[in-house]
Amino acid sequence: MNCKAYGISFAAVFLAFGLLTGCGGSSSTTTPPPPPPPTTSNFVFSVSGQDGLPADSGDINYYALAGVVTINTSTGAVTAGEQDYNDGDGTTSPQGGGDSISGGTLTVSSSTGQGTLTLNTSNTALGVSGVETFAVQFVNANHALITQFDGSATSSGSLDLQSLSTAPSGGFAFTVSGVDPGYDPIAVGGVFTYATTTPTSANGAIDLNDDGTIQTNQPFTITFNAPDASGRGTITSSAQYDIDGTETAIAFNYYIVGPEAIRIIDVDTTDAAIGSAFGQGTNATAAGSTTFVDPTSSQAVFSVAGNPWTFGNGAVGMFTATAGAAGAGTFAGVGEDFEVNNGISSGLEASLAGTYTMGANGYGTPLAFTTDFGDTTTWGLYATDPNLNLEDPNNTTGGGGALVLDLSQSTDVLPGTTGVIIPQTDSATAATDFNGNYAAGWQNFNYYENGCGGCETDMVSQGSMVSAGALSLTGDDSDPFATLTATTLTTGDTFAGTPQADTINLGRYSMLTTNSDPLAVTINAATPASGEFDLVMYQAGANQLFWLELDEGSTFSGPLEQQPSTLTGLPGASIRPSAQIKHK
Amino acid sequence: MSSSRFTKPTTMIAGLIAGLLFATLAVPLGAQPVPKAPYYDITKEFTIAGTVSSVVSKFTPGLISGSHLMLVTGRGDVDASLGRWGLEGKGALKVAAGQQVQVTGVMKTLKDREVFVARIVKVNGHAYVMRNEHGIAMSPQARARAGKKVVFRSEAL
Repeated sequence: MNCKAYGISFAAVFLAFGLLTGCGGSSSTTTPPPPPPPTTSNFVFSVSGQDGLPADSGDINYYALAGVVTINTSTGAVTAGEQDYNDGDGTTSPQGGGDSISGGTLTVSSSTGQGTLTLNTSNTALGVSGVETFAVQFVNANHALITQFDGSATSSGSLDLQSLSTAPSGGFAFTVSGVDPGYDPIAVGGVFTYATTTPTSANGAIDLNDDGTIQTNQPFTITFNAPDASGRGTITSSAQYDIDGTETAIAFNYYIVGPEAIRIIDVDTTDAAIGSAFGQGTNATAAGSTTFVDPTSSQAVFSVAGNPWTFGNGAVGMFTATAGAAGAGTFAGVGEDFEVNNGISSGLEASLAGTYTMGANGYGTPLAFTTDFGDTTTWGLYATDPNLNLEDPNNTTGGGGALVLDLSQSTDVLPGTTGVIIPQTDSATAATDFNGNYAAGWQNFNYYENGCGGCETDMVSQGSMVSAGALSLTGDDSDPFATLTATTLTTGDTFAGTPQADTINLGRYSMLTTNSDPLAVTINAATPASGEFDLVMYQAGANQLFWLELDEGSTFSGPLEQQPSTLTGLPGASIRPSAQIKHK
Repeated sequence: MSSSRFTKPTTMIAGLIAGLLFATLAVPLGAQPVPKAPYYDITKEFTIAGTVSSVVSKFTPGLISGSHLMLVTGRGDVDASLGRWGLEGKGALKVAAGQQVQVTGVMKTLKDREVFVARIVKVNGHAYVMRNEHGIAMSPQARARAGKKVVFRSEAL
C-alpha cells in the first residue's frame, strides 16, 4: 500500500470514528485511554577509567567509552546500539561506524534500581570476547550511575535516557579530559555556539592544560556534522595536535543525550579523551558574576577531580559569591584539596577566597584563588543553563552551575582535572534535607596493591540516609584494590557510617577517624586491607551531594544522588536475583 | 582510615570564622592568585649520587604514594620519590639495593618530611626518566613516546 492509500484509509477511519462518537451524544463520551508507553527507549552511556587491553598484555591504559543503546523497557532486552571505545594505545573502535551493539540485557531491581547491563558488541577485542558488562545503579527511570564490570576495564560514568525530539542549538559550555598523543594528561574546556555547518569564523573560545602547559582564550571553531538516527555523529573542529611538526586534526565523535546535553569522545588511535557539552540557556548571552550560584543564598558547592591518568587528585568545597562590577566577582568559603600522588593537601576545611570575571557569553576569565588550596590556584569557568541539571540532564530540578577546568599554571601539576560548580539551594535546611534513599558512586585511585601505582576501583551503590543519622549503602565494586587481575568484581559490598554535619558550614559533612566515625566498608564480605575511609561531603541540595576520600594512599570522588520516594518505570526492572549477578 | 594525616583541632573554628570574614571583606577585585611555587621548580634541580639501600615498591604509610629509592649519600640518607610509575611497566627503572645511582631532582618537604622528587635516575649508564619538567610522573606509555614533541593547537578556520 502506498502513502496515498494509507492517507485515504486513515481519513476514512477518522471520519467513521468521528461520526460514531458524534452520534452518541455527550452523555456517552468517554476519554480514550492514554497511549501505552513506548516499549523501547534509547539510552546514552559514557565512562572513563583504566583498561587492561589487549587481554593478557599486562598493560594498564586510560580509556574512554561512549555509546547509545536501544532497550526494551519492559523486558530489558538490548535490541540495538553503537559505541566508540578508545584507549589511545592499540584499542580504538573502527571509525566510520564504531562498534555495533546487536544485543544484551538490562536487569534491574525494581526496589533498589541496582542491576547489570550487558552489551554484545561487534568488537571481540573489548570486554570478554566482545561482551561488555556494566554495574548500573539507577537514580530514577531516566538516569543511572554505571561502572564497567567485567574485569577487562574499570570506569565510572552515567547512563541517561536519550531525547532526540528537539535538536541542540544555542550556546554550550564543555570540558573534555584524557591523554594526548604523548600519553600525558590533558583537559580542554570552553564555550561555543552550536553549529551544524562550518562557521566562517571562530564560534567559540577554549582553555587547555596539556601536561602542565596552559593556554587560555584560544579561538575555537566547532561543527557538529549531521548525526545518524541514533544521535551519533562526527565533529569537525579547529582542535589539533602538532606532533613533531605535523598538524593533525583531533577526531571527535558525539552522542546527543538531549537538546542541552551532548557526550563528546576523542576517537584518535594515539590519544583519547571524553567529556560533555551542556547548553548554556540564558547564560550564553546574559551571564553575570553570580550566574552559577543559588540566586537566593549566593552559594554553590564544587567537585573537581583528575582523570584516570592523572594524580589521584580531587577537591570539593563550598563558597559564597559576591557580585562586583562588569561581571567581576569574589568568592569565599571552605574546601579540601587532596593529591595522593603529589603528597599535597590543603588540610581540612581550608579557607577559600578569590576572584573571577564572568563574560556575558558564560566564559569566565580564570577563577583565581587568593588563598592556599593545595596545588590548585586557577580554574577556567564555563557557565551552564540555570535550568539544566549537569549530573542528570533529564532531571527538571537541581539545575544550574558551571563547568570547571584546572588551569593552575604556577604549580603545573594538575592537568586533566575537571569538575562542576552547582548552586547550593538548601544550606539553611541541609542536615534535615539529607534524608531518604540515595544512589552513590565513586572512582577511587589507590596504591594498596603491591606494584599498583594509582590503580582504580569503581563503585556504585544504593541505600538510605536518615536525617542527622546513619548512611547505609550496598553495592558493587569493580577492581577493588587490584590491577584488573584475579578478584576484580564484588557485589553486596557495604558502606556505612554517620556523616557529621558541620554546624558552621551548613551542607558540609565529614566522616573521619578523628571524629571516630569514618565510613566503614566491607568488600567481598570482609573489611579491606585499606580499612575504613576518611572523607568529606558537600551538599548542593537534597538531591545531590559530592564526596571526596582523604586517605593516605587512596582517594575517591563521586556523587550521591537522591532517589524518588518510589522508584517507578525503571527499564528492565525486576526483582534482581543476587545469585544471577555474582561475580567473584 | 586510621592513618589519615588530617586533624581537626577545635580551636581552629574561631580562627576560621575570623579568616572567612576577613577574606570576604578584604579580597579586592582583580586580586592575583596566591603566589605559589611550582610543584617541581626546575631551577632548583640538582643531582645527587649515592648507593641504593632499599627499593620501596609497596605502599608504605608515611611515604608519599608511588615507589621510592632509599639512598645513602654524602649528605646523609635520602628518600628519592620515583612517582606513580617509576618501577612499573615497559621501560621501568631496573635497580637493586647496593647499586650506585645518580638522581636528578628537587628537594621538597612533603607530608612533613624531606623528599627528593626524582626526575631522572641514572644507573649502569642508562638514564630513566621518572617525571617531566613539571614534575608530572611519566607513564610507561609516555616513556615509550617520549621522543615525540606534542603541542595542542586551536586556531580559527
